[in-house]
Amino acid sequence: MTAPAVPADGGPGAVARPAGRKPSVLRQVLARPDGMAGFVILVVFTVLALVPTLLVGPLQTAVTATGPRLAPPSIGYPLGTDELGRSILNLTVHATRVSMVIGFLATIVTVLIGAVLGIMSGFVGGRFDAVTMRIADFFLVIPTFVLAIILTAIIRDVVGTGSTEILGIRLSLITIVIVIGITSWSSTARIIRSQTLSLKERAFVDRARVIGAGGGHIMRRHVLPNVTNLIVANAVLVFAGAILTETTLAFVGLGDPFQPSWGQILDAARQVGAPSLGAWWYFVPAGVCIVLVVFAFTLLGNALDAVLNPKLQARR
Amino acid sequence: MGSRYLLRRVATACFTIVMIVVLNFVLFRAMPGSPERILLGRMPGVTAEVLAQTRARWGLDKPLFPDQFVAYLNSTAQGDLGFSYAARGRPVTEVLAQHLGPTLLLFGLGEILAIVLGLTLGSYSGWKRGSPVDYVGNAISLILYSMPYFLLGMALLLIFSTGAGWFPTFGMLTAGATYDNPLDVALDLGGHLALPLATVALGLIGQYAILMRSSVVETLSEDYVTTARAMGFRDDRVLRRHALPNAMLPTVTLVAINLGYVVAGAITVEVVFNWPGLGTLTVDALASRDYPVLQGVFLLLSVAVVFANLGADLLYGVLDPRVRT
Repeated sequence: MTAPAVPADGGPGAVARPAGRKPSVLRQVLARPDGMAGFVILVVFTVLALVPTLLVGPLQTAVTATGPRLAPPSIGYPLGTDELGRSILNLTVHATRVSMVIGFLATIVTVLIGAVLGIMSGFVGGRFDAVTMRIADFFLVIPTFVLAIILTAIIRDVVGTGSTEILGIRLSLITIVIVIGITSWSSTARIIRSQTLSLKERAFVDRARVIGAGGGHIMRRHVLPNVTNLIVANAVLVFAGAILTETTLAFVGLGDPFQPSWGQILDAARQVGAPSLGAWWYFVPAGVCIVLVVFAFTLLGNALDAVLNPKLQARR
Repeated sequence: MGSRYLLRRVATACFTIVMIVVLNFVLFRAMPGSPERILLGRMPGVTAEVLAQTRARWGLDKPLFPDQFVAYLNSTAQGDLGFSYAARGRPVTEVLAQHLGPTLLLFGLGEILAIVLGLTLGSYSGWKRGSPVDYVGNAISLILYSMPYFLLGMALLLIFSTGAGWFPTFGMLTAGATYDNPLDVALDLGGHLALPLATVALGLIGQYAILMRSSVVETLSEDYVTTARAMGFRDDRVLRRHALPNAMLPTVTLVAINLGYVVAGAITVEVVFNWPGLGTLTVDALASRDYPVLQGVFLLLSVAVVFANLGADLLYGVLDPRVRT
C-alpha cells in the first residue's frame, strides 16, 4: 500500500546528495507522472476509507434512511438515493472502507503465502519445489473465480455468518479475504521463486553458508531483503486484483448487505434494475471508484516496474 | 513436432485434470451438513433407521477412501455428475448442456472479435509508438482493463438500451414472440446479442491490445527487423512479414492463459443481461446453494480451460520451432 512518505536517504533537508547515489525508490516513482498520479488517487481513497463517518456521517441503514426512494441527485442528496431512501454518497463513501480494507487484507494474505512458498521453493529446491510449483501451475490454469465462488459458499455455510468482527470487518467478508488468498498466491510465488533461484547462486549466500548459517537464517536475513522490492512491486498489482475479485464476488451475491462494499452496491443496483430504470446515480459512483482505484494501482505498478527494471525503461 | 514436447504437454494436461477431479471430490465432501442430510432435505422426524437406509442406498456407509472415491471417479468418467437440487432432480449434465450453447455463442464471437480488433489496435500502437493513436489507444486500453466486465455491461445497458432504446434489455429472445421465418429469429437474437457481445469484446480488447503492443515494441528492437530495414524493405512489409509473425507468438499462450480469467467476466456479463448461459446458471445455483450444479460448472469450465491451454501449447509448438525440445 502507500509507503510512508519519509525519504529514506537523509531527511527533508538532504538536497545536495552525494554524486552517484541514487534517490530512494519512492522518490523515483513519485518523480514519474504515472507514479505521482497513482499515488495521489490512492491517498484520496485512503482518506475516504479512514474517516468515512467524519465526512458523510454514520452508515445509513434501512431504519435510519430518510430520503425519498430511488430519487435522482438533488441538493440534499448529491448522488441521489437507493430504493430504501439511503443516500448513495453515504453508501459509496462507507463502501470505500470495506473495499479497501478487504483488498488490503487479501493482499497481505496473498503476498505472505506467495512469498513464503516462493522463497522456500526456490531455496530448498528438490521435491518440495516440484510439488509446490505443480500446485502453483494448477491454480494459474484453472478458472480460480469459479473455485472462489464455491469455496466462499462452502466456508460460509460451515463457519456460519455470525456478527463477529475482525478489524471492523464482518466474518462473512473475512471469508472472502481468505478465499482470495488461497486462489491468487501462485503468480507471486512463481515470481519470487525465480528471483530466489538466481540469488541462491550469488557469492554472499555461499559466504553465509561457509560461516555456518542455516537455511532458515539465510532465507530470512539474506534472501528476503533482496526480494523485498519485488514483493512490494507485486503487492501493488495483487491489491488491484484483490479489489476486482472482491467486487466480482460481491456482485454475484457473496457480499454482505450489512457491510456494503462497492461490489455489493453494484449488486444491489442490478437487483433493483437500476440500469433499466435509468437510475445511473445508483451504480456510477461505485463504478467510478473501482475503476479509479484499480487504474491508480496499475499506474503505480507501471512506475515501480520502470524504476526497478532499468532495462525496461530504456526500451519504452 | 518433437514427440517429447507433445508427450510432456499432454501429461501435464492430464495431471491437471486429475487434480481438478480430486479437488471436486474433496470440495463435495467438505460440504456443510452431511450428504445424507441434503439428500433427505429438511424433513422433520427422520428416524435413525431411515438415515441408515439412505446412507446404505447412496454408499455413504462405506469408507471415504477408496470405496466412495472410486465410485465417484466411475460415475464422473461415465458423465454422471449427479442431480440438480434446484431443477427438481434433473441430471446436472442435462442442465449444463442446456446452458452451454448460449455461452459458446456469446464468448466464441466475443473472443474472435476481441482478438482481431485487439491485436490490430495493439500492433498499430506498437508500430506508431508515441503517436496520438498510441496515446489514446493506450489510455482506452488501460481504462477498459481496469473496469470489471459487468460494470461496462451496466453502462452499455443504461446508454443504449434504456437511454437510446436501440436494444432489448434482457434475455436471448423476446419472451412470447412468434416468428414467421428464420430471418426474424436471427434479427431478434442479433438485437439481444449486440450489447453483451460488445461488452465481452470491449472487455477483452484492452488486455489483448496492451499485450500485443508490448510484444510488437519488443520485436521491433530485434536485430532481424533492423536487418530487414537495412535491406531497404518498405515499412509495412517489415511490419507484416518480419515483425508481426514473431510478435504474435506470445499472444497465443496469453490468450489461452487469460481464458481462466475470462470465465469470471463471462459469469457476470451474462448476469447483467440475463443471458441464459453458464454464468447465469452459476449465480442461480449459488443463490439456491445447488452444489451439484456448481461442482458441474467448475468441472466443465476447468477442463475446457485446460484443453484450450493444451491446444495453445501445441499450436505454439507448430508455430515456433525453438520450443520443440
